Amino acid sequence: MASVGLRHIHKSYGALQVVHDVSLSVDDGEFIALVGPSGCGKSTLLRMIAGLEDITGGEIMIGGTVVNAMTPRERNIAMVFQSYALYPHMTVGENMGFNLKLAGVSKPEIAVRVGEAARMLALEDLLERKPAQLSGGQRQRVAMGRAIVRDPAVFLFDEPLSNLDAKLRVQMRTEIKALHQKVATTSIYVTHDQIEAMTLADRIVVLNAGRIEQVGTPMQLYKTPANLFVAGFIGSPAMNLFEGTVDGEGDSPVVRLAEGAAIAISTQRKVRRGQSVKVGLRPEHLSARGNGISGRTLLVEPTGAQTHVLFEFAGQQMTAVVDGDHPARHGTEFQAGIDHNLVYVFDRESGERL
Amino acid sequence: MTETSSSVRISTGTRIYLYLSLSLVAAIVLVPLVTTALGGFKTLGDLRLNPFGLPDEWVWSNYLDILFGDRYWRQMMNSLIIACMTVFLTLVVSSMAAFCFAHMRFFGSNQLLNYFLIGLMFPAATAILPLFIRIRDLGLLDSYWGVILPQVAFGLGMSILLFRNYFRNLPEELFQAAFVDGCGYIRFFWYISLPLSRPIVATVGIVTFVSSWNSYILPLIMLNTESKYPWPLGIMVYRGEFGTDWQLVLAFITLTILPTIIVFFLAQKHIIAGLTAGAVKS
Repeated sequence: MASVGLRHIHKSYGALQVVHDVSLSVDDGEFIALVGPSGCGKSTLLRMIAGLEDITGGEIMIGGTVVNAMTPRERNIAMVFQSYALYPHMTVGENMGFNLKLAGVSKPEIAVRVGEAARMLALEDLLERKPAQLSGGQRQRVAMGRAIVRDPAVFLFDEPLSNLDAKLRVQMRTEIKALHQKVATTSIYVTHDQIEAMTLADRIVVLNAGRIEQVGTPMQLYKTPANLFVAGFIGSPAMNLFEGTVDGEGDSPVVRLAEGAAIAISTQRKVRRGQSVKVGLRPEHLSARGNGISGRTLLVEPTGAQTHVLFEFAGQQMTAVVDGDHPARHGTEFQAGIDHNLVYVFDRESGERL
Repeated sequence: MTETSSSVRISTGTRIYLYLSLSLVAAIVLVPLVTTALGGFKTLGDLRLNPFGLPDEWVWSNYLDILFGDRYWRQMMNSLIIACMTVFLTLVVSSMAAFCFAHMRFFGSNQLLNYFLIGLMFPAATAILPLFIRIRDLGLLDSYWGVILPQVAFGLGMSILLFRNYFRNLPEELFQAAFVDGCGYIRFFWYISLPLSRPIVATVGIVTFVSSWNSYILPLIMLNTESKYPWPLGIMVYRGEFGTDWQLVLAFITLTILPTIIVFFLAQKHIIAGLTAGAVKS
């Protein structure tokens, strides 16, 4: 196990800069998730940590040692790839023991370590099979087995679940979490799926256009997003955002929205009268009972335990998450209550949370 | 519904057209082969009067004399030695060179690749005189190496191209996984690329083997001693000895073609897989 440190990492492809001055510290044994939309640089960052991609500037440290000039092998990391990248001509056992063979570990020792990893991942009966004879979930487990068998300092996961169907993804997510709790190896996990990041990670790094937007625990990101991007990215369904202008100060600040609508905000928000802002409301923070806001119901999406209701408000669509048996119907008036303490306010120009 | 390997339905008209076309192509290939094989069973008179029909009398001795003669087997061994060495060297050199072109970027790599590919445009026969002088200067005239080395050199362009395209189509993530596991370029080549490239190894091997097997001009120029002649030159010797005994020449040709056809049927799956590799995403 080892800590990982990134210091002022830059990456450019010719004139195109894709990673801008990223600094990050991952503690020993911590599980960090890098999330962000496609093209935000999260996979590039992971590949730079792995040594599969050169860095243009900065320093990468693993276990306190600068590893910029080291090969992937010398960095003592293990990586699980999106496509699993199992060697198709080798059996499961050979795949798992390949890195040990290259390291010159004796055959009996390889057999013992592969056996242990196989037991941990319930792969004992599959050791003689080739990857083509395995299901997606089994291949995923072999890929993880290949990573843990060498007892690396750091695990790197590059969207390892994105090729699996929804049910298997949830199952494998649980297995990855259980595995991390068992081996407690420092892990860096790249995903574009915020649910994966929220459920797995000790801390989440939100990336956008090659820059870190915010680093924090899942609940910190959810409750106190640093800016509009994080607020819009974390949470499902996404936060409702409305443009408006602050009116009233002191004890009763409100934000005036389009079409004469207004939303009261907490007195804790550091706003000034006339300031152009964006107001954020999480769909699950709108209560079904109350007379805070109302609008014509546009769409009702029952998901079982909850129902998503899309209704018109201030010339836009707003989503509310209500109880599964809420009687909302298309075309009827939908009324929702708002707790003004749960209304987020962002500066419209800088995007920062106020 | 028509059963085909794909789900495309073929109309009766198209099917008739396909069968007629394929029958015509098959006839073009088969008629000379069958005529040659049958010609080897005939007497010279029968061959002249009835070149395409069945023999009046089946003369097995034409084949048996060749098979039980010493020259046929000696020349087959010569052909085998030359072809196998050519295949071995071509596979070793071209796979390693192609691996470099597929995975490494170095100064002048594209120009170097183009230099090799230019070789595709020049058959050995066009450079036979300078080649002869070079081989003579190296002291390799009248030796197997005088035939093997030029064959390898002139086969490199095509072999490198086939290998390079195949290597480039191997998934990039395999390459990265192997590097994380501790492979360098050489270990990746040996443990991953090569074992995954059996179809293209078979294709290049067979194409090179057949090309060497059928080579006539190079051995003719480079070899002087009859005991070193491969099969194609053996035909020339038979013609010289038996004058117009074409039935023996045809029998000899049939016996020399036979091993190639057997090898092709045994390995056709690999040959076709190698030639179409990378055409579609698997």
